[in-house]
Amino acid sequence: MTDDELRDEVRGWLAANWNPGIDRASWAQIVFDAGWAVPSWEPEWYGRGLSDAQSRLAAAEFATAGAPGCGHDRANLFACTLHDAGTDEQKRRLIPPSIRGESKWCLLYSEPGAGSDLAGLRTRAERDGDEWVINGQKVWTSFAKTADYGMLVARTDWDVPKHQGISFFMLPMRQPGVEIRPIHQITGESEFNEVFIEDARVPAENLVGELNAGWSVLQTALGYERRFMGDLARTAKDNKRPRAEKANLLVELAREAARLDDPYIRQQIARVDGLATVNRWNTQRSKAAADRVEAATLMALGKIAMSRILHETARVETEIVGAEAMLAGPENPIGDGVTFRTMNAYFTSIGGGTDQIQRNIIGERVLGLPKEPEPYRNTPFRDLPH
Amino acid sequence: MPTSAPFSVSDEQRALRSAVADLMARRSAEAQVRALTATDTGFDPAVWRELAAMGLTGLLIGEEYGGAGAGPVEMGIAMEEMGAALLVSPFLSTAVLVPSLLVEAGDAAECAAVLPRIAAGDLIASVAFAEDGSARLPSTIATSAGAIGDAWHVTGYKHFVLDGQSANLFYVLAGTDAGPAVFAVDPGAPGMDVTPLTTLDPTRKQCRLQFVDTPARLVGRLGAGVEVFSAALDRSAVALLSEQAGGARRAVEMATDYAKTRYQFGRAIGSFQAVKHMCADMLLEAESAVSAARFVAGSFAGQAPSRIADLALAQAYCSDAFVFVAATNIQVHGGIGFTWEHPAHLYLRRARSDAQLLGSPSWHRERYLRQIEATRSDA
Repeated sequence: MTDDELRDEVRGWLAANWNPGIDRASWAQIVFDAGWAVPSWEPEWYGRGLSDAQSRLAAAEFATAGAPGCGHDRANLFACTLHDAGTDEQKRRLIPPSIRGESKWCLLYSEPGAGSDLAGLRTRAERDGDEWVINGQKVWTSFAKTADYGMLVARTDWDVPKHQGISFFMLPMRQPGVEIRPIHQITGESEFNEVFIEDARVPAENLVGELNAGWSVLQTALGYERRFMGDLARTAKDNKRPRAEKANLLVELAREAARLDDPYIRQQIARVDGLATVNRWNTQRSKAAADRVEAATLMALGKIAMSRILHETARVETEIVGAEAMLAGPENPIGDGVTFRTMNAYFTSIGGGTDQIQRNIIGERVLGLPKEPEPYRNTPFRDLPH
Repeated sequence: MPTSAPFSVSDEQRALRSAVADLMARRSAEAQVRALTATDTGFDPAVWRELAAMGLTGLLIGEEYGGAGAGPVEMGIAMEEMGAALLVSPFLSTAVLVPSLLVEAGDAAECAAVLPRIAAGDLIASVAFAEDGSARLPSTIATSAGAIGDAWHVTGYKHFVLDGQSANLFYVLAGTDAGPAVFAVDPGAPGMDVTPLTTLDPTRKQCRLQFVDTPARLVGRLGAGVEVFSAALDRSAVALLSEQAGGARRAVEMATDYAKTRYQFGRAIGSFQAVKHMCADMLLEAESAVSAARFVAGSFAGQAPSRIADLALAQAYCSDAFVFVAATNIQVHGGIGFTWEHPAHLYLRRARSDAQLLGSPSWHRERYLRQIEATRSDA
């Protein structure tokens, strides 16, 4: 089928089936039955067997029509992970409610003691009859309160090296042993939660992948997450195209603060505009690159570039507004905005892996520099210093 | 010049890159660079003949004058490779600045007399515009020209003149009663003095010119000198970006190669995060410079309305980026990088010289800001 034929088919189907007044559950069932929830999956697994690219086209047609429900094969990390790593029984039991939007999920990966070194996690899972009993603490979880399942990595063997004793579970979130507390971020916002897990239970049939093979299931899940984040970053950039003029926000801020004649401020503004503009050119070049290595190199550099842009923009804003930067709150919108952007820049330079970890990745995977020696590579997790 | 999407690369352009890279590998290895830096002229006639035979000296020259009629994108490709190899040659003056100036001057007779000789590799020529204090055009021009009948004479001086020792022809910016203009001057003309300057960057020769009633030939229109030079410098700066990007990329390769093979404490030093992170930061700067240089080349090829703002931003960025990468390369090399025998310092010298050659980074940043302010008030 050509792309145009596919577009025609999706449009025809939407015209025949979609109306904005339909109730959500009925619509989700119709989309599910027709295979549009996960168009790139096999027909025997709720899909239509389309290519990845055509699945995107279908999702784009749904989005254009304002119809929800398509694209779980990209955005639904729970379903995608099960599709690749789950048993047939798990796929039949857990996937349909998820891709009909009836069950929600969240991620239970990071811990207070396992951030950059995720494999150092200490949340434990112990077998008890037909169940696993979970104890530990997870952190940086979005949407924990609304989730039905947590995608959980927990330690199931303490007597082997750290990567080899981890298992992957789908933990039912709505149970007494799971307590959720919002994290107050340095910006004052609360987008994330801590999840305290005390004697919570997972049925044995919710172990995903082999026992102690959770690290490789996690890599599958992280691969989907990176792909989805890449999609989001691309669409966000496309939507914000008029940002070219917004590069002059600093100019406007300086004009309002009567600092636009200050040669020092002018230099700083131009320097920051340079960082942002060059990063945009890098992105354009990576999209145009026929060479996959070139594209991957530029994508890997994008994160540290963006961190620097955000921190430097906030720094120059601070220089421009001067004493106003001491103020905060809705009654001081200028100082408040500058302070927010100063604090929120760490969202990018720490979140999703710190810039320092990213520099290791660039050094090792892009430049081919040798890895740091790992003295504890073969040490049982139980014996690691902590 | 067909306009194409930014960053798209044709097969011809790929072939050009590999041909220039090939030539550089044969003709601009470190030993050859060092040998030419030790000469007064920095000019090797045999290499020049090869550059001409490959069509590189005529790359920017129209086909009607025996050139290739290529544009800024192709020149950028050549300059990336030449910059990576630190080619010692009067290429930037003869093959970039002079053809750019003559295109802008619009003097058909001068073009017909000079450009075919440059394309054929028979003439080395340069431009002379800067005076004391700045490598950009002077705000008031101290050098003046006066005519007795049709015969013009130039008096004054020019500073920071590229390749003065090898050039057989100079295009000089001088003031006249009817406004600034471009004058052609022969180095052997009466009252003309060429003094070599001791430069930080031994791979690129500069001199100071002194004129006392030196006979000169008017090129183009009286009064157009500043506009013509200014536009020529913009075209040439586009090429300079690519030289900087190419040099920066090579410096990153040098640093990472060294970090993989130098062992201390029983480990390759590149396995230490302190060194690894320097290399990652260098890569960001070098690749960003490459993107900037290629984008601006495309922006000039397509006559994009934003091209002057793009160029100003990119020139400031690429200058800073090349200096940072070349400097950090020395730090990654440690002691060996502090020796004259190691080539790392040659890249820092080139980087620091390039960062002033067509205006300093801060000059370009101020220019960028004025450009966007002007765009805003037009809107």
